Amino acid sequence: MAIAEGPSAGPLTATGTDPRNVDGQAICITVFSTVKGWGRLWLPLVFLYARLVPSAHGTLARLSFIHFARWTLVRRLPEQRLRHPHLFFESNFNGGWEEYIDAFSHILTRGMTLFWGSSYGFPTPLPTGRFKDYIKRHEIVASHFYSAYPDATTTIVLSALELDAKLRDFRARTEGMDPDGFARAWDEFVTDVQGCL
Amino acid sequence: MNTDPDRSGQAGALTVLTPIKPGAVDDLRGYLEGLRATGSPLARLSRTHFGRWVIVTDFASDGEREPDRLASPYLLFTACFDGTLDSYLDELCEELSAEAPAIWGRCTGVPQPPVGAALKAYLRAHHATTGFFVAAYPEAEVGQVRHALAQREAVIAFARSAQGMDPAQLRAAFLDQLGG
Repeated sequence: MAIAEGPSAGPLTATGTDPRNVDGQAICITVFSTVKGWGRLWLPLVFLYARLVPSAHGTLARLSFIHFARWTLVRRLPEQRLRHPHLFFESNFNGGWEEYIDAFSHILTRGMTLFWGSSYGFPTPLPTGRFKDYIKRHEIVASHFYSAYPDATTTIVLSALELDAKLRDFRARTEGMDPDGFARAWDEFVTDVQGCL
Repeated sequence: MNTDPDRSGQAGALTVLTPIKPGAVDDLRGYLEGLRATGSPLARLSRTHFGRWVIVTDFASDGEREPDRLASPYLLFTACFDGTLDSYLDELCEELSAEAPAIWGRCTGVPQPPVGAALKAYLRAHHATTGFFVAAYPEAEVGQVRHALAQREAVIAFARSAQGMDPAQLRAAFLDQLGG
Protein backbone atom coordinates (compact mmCIF):
# COMPACT_ATOMS: atom_id res chain seq x y z
CA MET A 1 0.00 0.00 0.00
CA ALA A 2 1.14 3.52 -0.57
CA ILE A 3 -0.49 6.60 0.86
CA ALA A 4 -1.53 9.19 -1.66
CA GLU A 5 0.54 12.31 -1.16
CA GLY A 6 -1.24 15.30 0.26
CA PRO A 7 -2.02 18.00 -2.28
CA SER A 8 0.45 20.49 -0.85
CA ALA A 9 3.70 18.56 -0.98
CA GLY A 10 6.54 21.07 -0.99
CA PRO A 11 10.09 21.10 -2.29
CA LEU A 12 12.71 18.91 -0.71
CA THR A 13 15.20 20.54 1.61
CA ALA A 14 18.92 19.87 1.93
CA THR A 15 17.95 17.13 4.37
CA GLY A 16 16.27 15.28 1.52
CA THR A 17 12.76 15.66 2.89
CA ASP A 18 9.89 18.13 2.69
CA PRO A 19 10.46 21.25 4.87
CA ARG A 20 7.26 20.47 6.76
CA ASN A 21 8.96 17.32 8.07
CA VAL A 22 11.75 19.42 9.59
CA ASP A 23 12.09 21.39 12.82
CA GLY A 24 15.65 22.63 13.25
CA GLN A 25 17.92 19.59 13.21
CA ALA A 26 14.98 17.25 13.80
CA ILE A 27 13.28 15.38 10.98
CA CYS A 28 10.15 13.28 11.11
CA ILE A 29 9.19 10.38 8.93
CA THR A 30 5.67 8.91 8.77
CA VAL A 31 5.06 5.70 6.84
CA PHE A 32 2.03 3.44 6.42
CA SER A 33 2.15 0.08 4.65
CA THR A 34 -0.52 -2.56 4.06
CA VAL A 35 0.10 -5.82 5.89
CA LYS A 36 -0.60 -9.27 4.50
CA GLY A 37 -2.95 -11.57 6.37
CA TRP A 38 -0.20 -13.49 8.14
CA GLY A 39 1.27 -10.25 9.46
CA ARG A 40 -1.79 -9.92 11.69
CA LEU A 41 -0.29 -12.69 13.82
CA TRP A 42 3.38 -12.22 12.98
CA LEU A 43 3.82 -8.55 13.84
CA PRO A 44 2.48 -8.76 17.41
CA LEU A 45 5.08 -11.49 18.00
CA VAL A 46 7.82 -9.31 16.54
CA PHE A 47 6.73 -6.40 18.72
CA LEU A 48 6.65 -8.62 21.80
CA TYR A 49 10.13 -9.93 21.05
CA ALA A 50 11.45 -6.41 20.50
CA ARG A 51 9.96 -5.22 23.79
CA LEU A 52 11.06 -8.14 25.93
CA VAL A 53 14.54 -8.86 24.57
CA PRO A 54 16.89 -6.01 25.44
CA SER A 55 19.40 -6.97 22.75
CA ALA A 56 16.77 -6.06 20.18
CA HIS A 57 17.20 -2.45 21.31
CA GLY A 58 20.96 -2.67 20.97
CA THR A 59 20.98 -2.65 17.22
CA LEU A 60 18.55 0.25 17.13
CA ALA A 61 20.76 2.10 19.59
CA ARG A 62 23.58 1.86 17.05
CA LEU A 63 21.51 4.18 14.90
CA SER A 64 22.75 7.12 16.92
CA PHE A 65 20.56 9.64 15.12
CA ILE A 66 17.16 8.37 16.28
CA HIS A 67 15.53 10.21 19.19
CA PHE A 68 12.29 8.18 19.25
CA ALA A 69 10.70 5.66 16.86
CA ARG A 70 7.57 3.51 16.94
CA TRP A 71 5.75 0.81 15.02
CA THR A 72 2.00 0.32 15.40
CA LEU A 73 -0.30 -2.23 13.80
CA VAL A 74 -3.56 -0.49 12.86
CA ARG A 75 -6.26 -3.15 12.65
CA ARG A 76 -9.31 -0.91 12.70
CA LEU A 77 -10.25 2.68 12.13
CA PRO A 78 -13.32 4.49 13.43
CA GLU A 79 -16.00 4.73 10.73
CA GLN A 80 -13.98 2.63 8.30
CA ARG A 81 -13.94 -1.07 7.64
CA LEU A 82 -10.42 -2.25 6.89
CA ARG A 83 -9.83 -5.36 4.81
CA HIS A 84 -6.15 -5.34 5.72
CA PRO A 85 -4.18 -4.34 8.80
CA HIS A 86 -1.80 -1.43 8.24
CA LEU A 87 1.65 -0.90 9.72
CA PHE A 88 2.29 2.64 10.92
CA PHE A 89 5.92 3.66 11.45
CA GLU A 90 7.23 6.97 12.66
CA SER A 91 10.66 8.22 13.55
CA ASN A 92 12.09 11.42 14.99
CA PHE A 93 15.71 11.69 13.94
CA ASN A 94 18.44 14.03 12.75
CA GLY A 95 20.71 14.08 9.74
CA GLY A 96 19.59 13.47 6.19
CA TRP A 97 16.71 11.37 4.86
CA GLU A 98 18.93 9.44 2.47
CA GLU A 99 21.52 8.69 5.14
CA TYR A 100 18.77 7.62 7.51
CA ILE A 101 17.36 5.06 5.11
CA ASP A 102 20.87 3.91 4.15
CA ALA A 103 21.76 3.29 7.79
CA PHE A 104 18.48 1.54 8.45
CA SER A 105 19.08 -0.76 5.50
CA HIS A 106 22.71 -1.59 6.26
CA ILE A 107 22.59 -1.85 10.06
CA LEU A 108 19.05 -3.14 10.59
CA THR A 109 18.86 -5.41 7.57
CA ARG A 110 17.37 -8.33 9.50
CA GLY A 111 15.20 -6.17 11.73
CA MET A 112 13.75 -4.35 8.74
CA THR A 113 12.72 -7.62 7.22
CA LEU A 114 11.12 -8.69 10.52
CA PHE A 115 9.11 -5.48 10.74
CA TRP A 116 8.21 -4.91 7.08
CA GLY A 117 8.50 -8.36 5.57
CA SER A 118 4.76 -8.92 5.94
CA SER A 119 3.91 -5.69 4.10
CA TYR A 120 2.75 -5.81 0.50
CA GLY A 121 5.35 -4.60 -1.98
CA PHE A 122 8.22 -4.57 0.52
CA PRO A 123 11.54 -5.11 -1.28
CA THR A 124 14.58 -6.41 0.54
CA PRO A 125 16.39 -3.68 2.51
CA LEU A 126 19.42 -4.10 0.26
CA PRO A 127 20.16 -2.72 -2.22
CA THR A 128 18.91 0.53 -0.74
CA GLY A 129 17.68 2.08 -3.98
CA ARG A 130 14.52 -0.01 -4.20
CA PHE A 131 13.90 0.33 -0.49
CA LYS A 132 14.15 4.12 -0.68
CA ASP A 133 11.64 4.13 -3.52
CA TYR A 134 9.33 1.99 -1.41
CA ILE A 135 9.55 4.34 1.60
CA LYS A 136 9.03 7.40 -0.60
CA ARG A 137 5.87 5.89 -2.05
CA HIS A 138 4.56 5.12 1.44
CA GLU A 139 5.64 8.23 3.28
CA ILE A 140 3.22 11.01 4.21
CA VAL A 141 4.36 14.58 4.76
CA ALA A 142 3.48 16.05 8.16
CA SER A 143 1.26 19.11 8.29
CA HIS A 144 2.94 20.18 11.51
CA PHE A 145 6.01 18.81 13.27
CA TYR A 146 7.42 19.96 16.59
CA SER A 147 10.61 19.27 18.51
CA ALA A 148 11.16 20.53 22.07
CA TYR A 149 14.90 20.92 21.42
CA PRO A 150 15.16 21.40 17.67
CA ASP A 151 18.83 22.39 17.58
CA ALA A 152 20.10 19.25 19.31
CA THR A 153 21.05 16.04 17.57
CA THR A 154 20.53 12.72 19.34
CA THR A 155 24.27 12.43 19.90
CA ILE A 156 24.43 15.87 21.52
CA VAL A 157 21.46 15.06 23.78
CA LEU A 158 23.13 11.84 24.91
CA SER A 159 26.45 13.64 25.43
CA ALA A 160 24.75 16.39 27.42
CA LEU A 161 22.99 13.88 29.68
CA GLU A 162 26.24 11.98 30.26
CA LEU A 163 28.06 15.23 31.01
CA ASP A 164 25.31 16.23 33.44
CA ALA A 165 25.79 13.07 35.47
CA LYS A 166 29.57 13.44 35.48
CA LEU A 167 29.40 17.10 36.44
CA ARG A 168 27.18 16.28 39.41
CA ASP A 169 29.71 13.70 40.50
CA PHE A 170 32.57 16.17 40.01
CA ARG A 171 30.82 18.78 42.14
CA ALA A 172 30.31 16.26 44.94
CA ARG A 173 33.90 15.02 44.76
CA THR A 174 35.49 18.46 44.78
CA GLU A 175 33.34 20.11 47.43
CA GLY A 176 35.65 21.73 49.98
CA MET A 177 38.77 20.76 48.03
CA ASP A 178 41.76 23.10 48.17
CA PRO A 179 42.53 25.09 44.97
CA ASP A 180 45.49 22.98 43.86
CA GLY A 181 43.59 19.73 44.32
CA PHE A 182 40.60 21.25 42.53
CA ALA A 183 42.75 22.32 39.58
CA ARG A 184 44.11 18.77 39.21
CA ALA A 185 40.62 17.30 39.48
CA TRP A 186 39.36 19.77 36.86
CA ASP A 187 42.06 18.77 34.40
CA GLU A 188 41.15 15.11 34.90
CA PHE A 189 37.46 15.94 34.53
CA VAL A 190 37.98 17.81 31.25
CA THR A 191 39.97 14.88 29.89
CA ASP A 192 37.27 12.45 31.00
CA VAL A 193 34.37 14.37 29.43
CA GLN A 194 36.21 15.39 26.26
CA GLY A 195 33.90 13.18 24.20
CA CYS A 196 30.82 14.94 25.60
CA LEU A 197 31.93 18.44 24.59
CA MET B 1 12.01 -5.54 30.34
CA ASN B 2 9.21 -3.41 28.95
CA THR B 3 5.70 -4.85 29.07
CA ASP B 4 3.74 -1.68 28.25
CA PRO B 5 3.86 -1.17 24.47
CA ASP B 6 3.13 2.55 24.81
CA ARG B 7 6.16 3.15 27.01
CA SER B 8 9.92 3.20 26.80
CA GLY B 9 11.29 3.96 30.25
CA GLN B 10 9.38 6.94 31.59
CA ALA B 11 8.57 8.14 28.06
CA GLY B 12 5.14 7.53 26.56
CA ALA B 13 3.91 7.23 22.98
CA LEU B 14 0.52 8.63 22.01
CA THR B 15 -1.06 7.78 18.66
CA VAL B 16 -4.54 9.10 17.77
CA LEU B 17 -6.36 8.59 14.46
CA THR B 18 -9.60 10.53 13.89
CA PRO B 19 -11.76 10.77 10.75
CA ILE B 20 -11.96 14.25 9.23
CA LYS B 21 -15.38 15.70 8.41
CA PRO B 22 -16.30 15.74 4.72
CA GLY B 23 -15.04 18.90 3.04
CA ALA B 24 -12.92 19.98 6.01
CA VAL B 25 -9.54 18.60 4.98
CA ASP B 26 -8.25 21.62 3.06
CA ASP B 27 -9.08 24.06 5.85
CA LEU B 28 -7.57 21.71 8.42
CA ARG B 29 -4.40 21.31 6.39
CA GLY B 30 -4.12 25.06 5.96
CA TYR B 31 -4.62 25.62 9.67
CA LEU B 32 -2.05 23.03 10.70
CA GLU B 33 0.53 24.24 8.20
CA GLY B 34 0.03 27.79 9.45
CA LEU B 35 0.78 26.91 13.07
CA ARG B 36 4.51 27.19 12.59
CA ALA B 37 4.29 30.90 11.73
CA THR B 38 3.17 31.76 15.25
CA GLY B 39 5.10 29.05 17.06
CA SER B 40 3.96 25.51 17.71
CA PRO B 41 1.17 25.18 20.29
CA LEU B 42 2.87 21.94 21.33
CA ALA B 43 5.59 24.11 22.89
CA ARG B 44 3.05 24.91 25.63
CA LEU B 45 2.97 21.22 26.52
CA SER B 46 6.17 21.15 28.54
CA ARG B 47 6.24 17.33 28.62
CA THR B 48 6.27 16.93 24.82
CA HIS B 49 9.58 15.85 23.28
CA PHE B 50 8.20 15.50 19.74
CA GLY B 51 4.75 15.82 18.21
CA ARG B 52 3.13 15.88 14.80
CA TRP B 53 -0.15 16.18 12.96
CA VAL B 54 -0.36 14.30 9.68
CA ILE B 55 -3.30 14.13 7.29
CA VAL B 56 -3.74 10.67 5.81
CA THR B 57 -5.71 11.25 2.65
CA ASP B 58 -5.91 7.72 1.31
CA PHE B 59 -4.23 4.38 0.90
CA ALA B 60 -2.90 3.38 -2.49
CA SER B 61 -2.66 -0.22 -3.52
CA ASP B 62 0.62 -2.09 -3.59
CA GLY B 63 -0.38 -5.30 -5.26
CA GLU B 64 -2.93 -6.48 -2.74
CA ARG B 65 -6.35 -7.69 -3.72
CA GLU B 66 -9.15 -5.36 -2.74
CA PRO B 67 -6.99 -2.52 -1.41
CA ASP B 68 -8.38 -0.39 1.39
CA ARG B 69 -9.72 2.98 0.31
CA LEU B 70 -10.40 5.55 2.96
CA ALA B 71 -13.96 6.86 2.92
CA SER B 72 -12.64 10.08 4.42
CA PRO B 73 -9.20 11.45 5.23
CA TYR B 74 -7.89 10.81 8.75
CA LEU B 75 -6.01 13.08 11.11
CA LEU B 76 -3.05 11.40 12.77
CA PHE B 77 -1.69 12.99 15.92
CA THR B 78 1.33 11.53 17.69
CA ALA B 79 3.44 12.64 20.61
CA CYS B 80 6.45 11.40 22.57
CA PHE B 81 5.87 12.67 26.08
CA ASP B 82 6.91 12.37 29.73
CA GLY B 83 4.88 10.66 32.41
CA THR B 84 1.45 9.08 32.32
CA LEU B 85 -0.95 9.24 29.40
CA ASP B 86 -3.85 10.25 31.60
CA SER B 87 -2.15 13.35 33.00
CA TYR B 88 -0.67 14.19 29.59
CA LEU B 89 -4.10 14.19 28.00
CA ASP B 90 -5.37 16.45 30.79
CA GLU B 91 -2.56 18.87 30.05
CA LEU B 92 -3.10 18.63 26.29
CA CYS B 93 -6.84 19.34 26.54
CA GLU B 94 -6.17 22.27 28.85
CA GLU B 95 -3.26 23.85 26.98
CA LEU B 96 -4.64 23.36 23.47
CA SER B 97 -8.15 24.57 24.26
CA ALA B 98 -7.70 27.50 21.87
CA GLU B 99 -6.53 25.34 18.96
CA ALA B 100 -8.56 22.16 19.52
CA PRO B 101 -11.80 23.46 17.92
CA ALA B 102 -9.89 24.26 14.71
CA ILE B 103 -8.12 20.88 14.77
CA TRP B 104 -10.21 18.07 16.26
CA GLY B 105 -13.33 20.23 15.83
CA ARG B 106 -12.98 19.38 12.13
CA CYS B 107 -13.17 15.66 12.89
CA THR B 108 -16.23 13.42 12.85
CA GLY B 109 -17.91 12.54 16.11
CA VAL B 110 -16.02 15.07 18.20
CA PRO B 111 -17.96 16.50 21.15
CA GLN B 112 -18.95 20.15 21.01
CA PRO B 113 -17.17 22.14 22.18
CA PRO B 114 -14.09 19.94 21.70
CA VAL B 115 -12.38 20.86 24.95
CA GLY B 116 -11.72 19.52 28.42
CA ALA B 117 -12.94 16.14 29.62
CA ALA B 118 -15.09 15.59 26.51
CA LEU B 119 -12.09 16.04 24.20
CA LYS B 120 -9.97 13.82 26.42
CA ALA B 121 -12.55 11.03 26.17
CA TYR B 122 -12.67 11.46 22.38
CA LEU B 123 -8.89 11.24 22.04
CA ARG B 124 -8.76 8.22 24.34
CA ALA B 125 -11.44 6.48 22.29
CA HIS B 126 -9.39 7.00 19.11
CA HIS B 127 -6.04 6.06 20.63
CA ALA B 128 -4.10 3.29 18.84
CA THR B 129 -1.85 1.19 21.03
CA THR B 130 1.79 1.10 19.95
CA GLY B 131 3.43 -2.18 18.98
CA PHE B 132 7.04 -1.22 19.70
CA PHE B 133 8.29 2.13 20.96
CA VAL B 134 12.00 2.88 21.28
CA ALA B 135 13.73 5.91 22.78
CA ALA B 136 17.42 6.87 22.75
CA TYR B 137 17.15 8.43 26.24
CA PRO B 138 14.03 6.87 27.76
CA GLU B 139 14.57 8.11 31.31
CA ALA B 140 15.23 11.77 30.47
CA GLU B 141 12.35 14.21 30.70
CA VAL B 142 12.12 17.28 28.46
CA GLY B 143 13.20 19.58 31.30
CA GLN B 144 16.23 17.40 32.03
CA VAL B 145 17.23 17.34 28.37
CA ARG B 146 16.96 21.10 28.03
CA HIS B 147 18.87 21.65 31.28
CA ALA B 148 21.61 19.24 30.19
CA LEU B 149 21.92 20.92 26.79
CA ALA B 150 22.19 24.40 28.32
CA GLN B 151 24.68 23.14 30.90
CA ARG B 152 26.81 21.51 28.21
CA GLU B 153 27.10 24.87 26.46
CA ALA B 154 28.04 26.47 29.76
CA VAL B 155 30.73 23.83 30.44
CA ILE B 156 32.21 24.33 26.96
CA ALA B 157 32.31 28.09 27.45
CA PHE B 158 33.80 27.72 30.92
CA ALA B 159 36.45 25.23 29.79
CA ARG B 160 37.59 27.73 27.17
CA SER B 161 37.62 30.67 29.53
CA ALA B 162 39.34 28.72 32.33
CA GLN B 163 42.50 28.10 30.35
CA GLY B 164 45.33 30.04 31.97
CA MET B 165 43.54 30.64 35.28
CA ASP B 166 45.49 29.92 38.43
CA PRO B 167 44.01 27.27 40.78
CA ALA B 168 42.34 29.76 43.11
CA GLN B 169 40.79 31.67 40.22
CA LEU B 170 39.67 28.43 38.59
CA ARG B 171 37.94 27.13 41.69
CA ALA B 172 36.21 30.48 42.38
CA ALA B 173 35.08 30.82 38.75
CA PHE B 174 33.77 27.24 38.69
CA LEU B 175 31.76 27.72 41.86
CA ASP B 176 30.38 30.97 40.45
CA GLN B 177 29.47 29.66 36.98
CA LEU B 178 28.96 25.91 37.32
CA GLY B 179 28.60 25.43 41.05
CA GLY B 180 25.15 23.96 40.58
